[in-house]
Amino acid sequence: MNVEIKILKKFVPKDFTLVSGLPGIAYIGKLSVDYLIQQLKAELVAEVYSKYFPPYVLIRSDGIVELLRNELYFLKDETAGDLVFFSGNSQAFSPEGQYEVADKLLDWAVANGVKKIYSLAAYVSDRVFDVPNVYGTATSTEALEEMKKMGVMPLDEGVISGENGLIIGLAKKRNVEAVCLMGETRGYQTPTGQYIIDAKASKAVLKLLTAALNLKVDMEPLDKQAREMDEIIARMAEVERRIKEELAEAAKKPSYVT
Amino acid sequence: MEADVWIERLRKVELETPVAVVGSPGLRSIGKLVVNQLIDAAKANLTAELYSSHLPMIYHTKPSYVSHYSLPGVGGARVKHGQVDLPKVQFYTCPSPSMVIVKGYHANFAGQYDVAEKVVEVLSEFAVSRIIVAAGYGSETSKVCCAATSPDIIREMKETLNLEVDYSGPFYGFSGLVFGLAKLKGIDALCLFAGTEPAPEDLEFPDPKASEMILDVLNQMLGFRK
Repeated sequence: MNVEIKILKKFVPKDFTLVSGLPGIAYIGKLSVDYLIQQLKAELVAEVYSKYFPPYVLIRSDGIVELLRNELYFLKDETAGDLVFFSGNSQAFSPEGQYEVADKLLDWAVANGVKKIYSLAAYVSDRVFDVPNVYGTATSTEALEEMKKMGVMPLDEGVISGENGLIIGLAKKRNVEAVCLMGETRGYQTPTGQYIIDAKASKAVLKLLTAALNLKVDMEPLDKQAREMDEIIARMAEVERRIKEELAEAAKKPSYVT
Repeated sequence: MEADVWIERLRKVELETPVAVVGSPGLRSIGKLVVNQLIDAAKANLTAELYSSHLPMIYHTKPSYVSHYSLPGVGGARVKHGQVDLPKVQFYTCPSPSMVIVKGYHANFAGQYDVAEKVVEVLSEFAVSRIIVAAGYGSETSKVCCAATSPDIIREMKETLNLEVDYSGPFYGFSGLVFGLAKLKGIDALCLFAGTEPAPEDLEFPDPKASEMILDVLNQMLGFRK
């Protein structure tokens, strides 16, 4: 088993839009897609397993064992049409694995009539900001122009690492129209190296995505999470500022003063 | 070498709907102790061996069950009593109670899925009715708890053996993946976790009391002590 898509429920999407967001920097892609799945009550229709996911299992609090996996959720929306959401608790760990998982997903999507793909990701910035920007790139000038009109800032140069980037890169090779939306984040991490979830960046991404898809979504629960995260991020920014000040002060002193 | 995981069958056996018991070196070596003692107690016969280029002779991770993608380890052979041998997973069988006992070995990060998948495939060929995994979990209380592939098995464990769910979180290494892949392949499986105090200086330092607790539960389930 390199990559296996296990269909749980037969479903027939028609000219559908695929919205993808896997765990990555500040969990922006994953949080955004998971939020849509939850708010719109999309239905779990398939699971994706791969030997390229990290080799361990999770025991849930009810005692049930789970392999790491990605998931496909389906929604027929009155205004946005057929939507398939791609999320999960893991990304493949190697470039080879990331290519295989992304490729297998695109095989499935193309075979089932995907119309357009949105990949959601993060853009790490040093800028101090109150409202995060949303950066974007697309497989066609037309698609990018459309996003620019909605307020997306085109990304001139940069790297979209992992599957969130590969999905749009491989979509281009297959002539499938795709857009990547990247929420601006400081990418704060805990002392153990875990990314802190940036709900504010997710909200910024979702505001544009829902407008592009003509989707109605209650943003209040995400707003609440964003406000809570704002307080944590403000504290971390203050710590960062103090460290920078102290380092600057230390640099002014002669090196022999200890 | 055509495949990176291969099986050598040493004898042909026919078992009637056997139960598989799986263990590997892990926290306080509980799984390993359980299968070793079970093999002795049941007088099980070595029936097949799994070899793989993913099985390191020397691990660069400690404990061995926590693998890392950039630390694949070193391949090699072991010499014991003047005989040279390779790292391997071993399958022992016993007709009564009808059992396949799997003595596991941790593959490196990149090969764990391939090895565990092959183990589940071999157990499918034996037509096992159920897989029971033996392992340890860090706890202040000395008791056996359980996890399973379905809520029905959790209920059964509570009703028949008064076993509770007490551990949640990651389960690393050979046994964890065999457990997870069994679920994917539709084979009923459960894990018996014995509570043990982790020894920070050597997480694989054996805890025979904890393994004995699991053997007692296994004996109630399978009746291998005659």
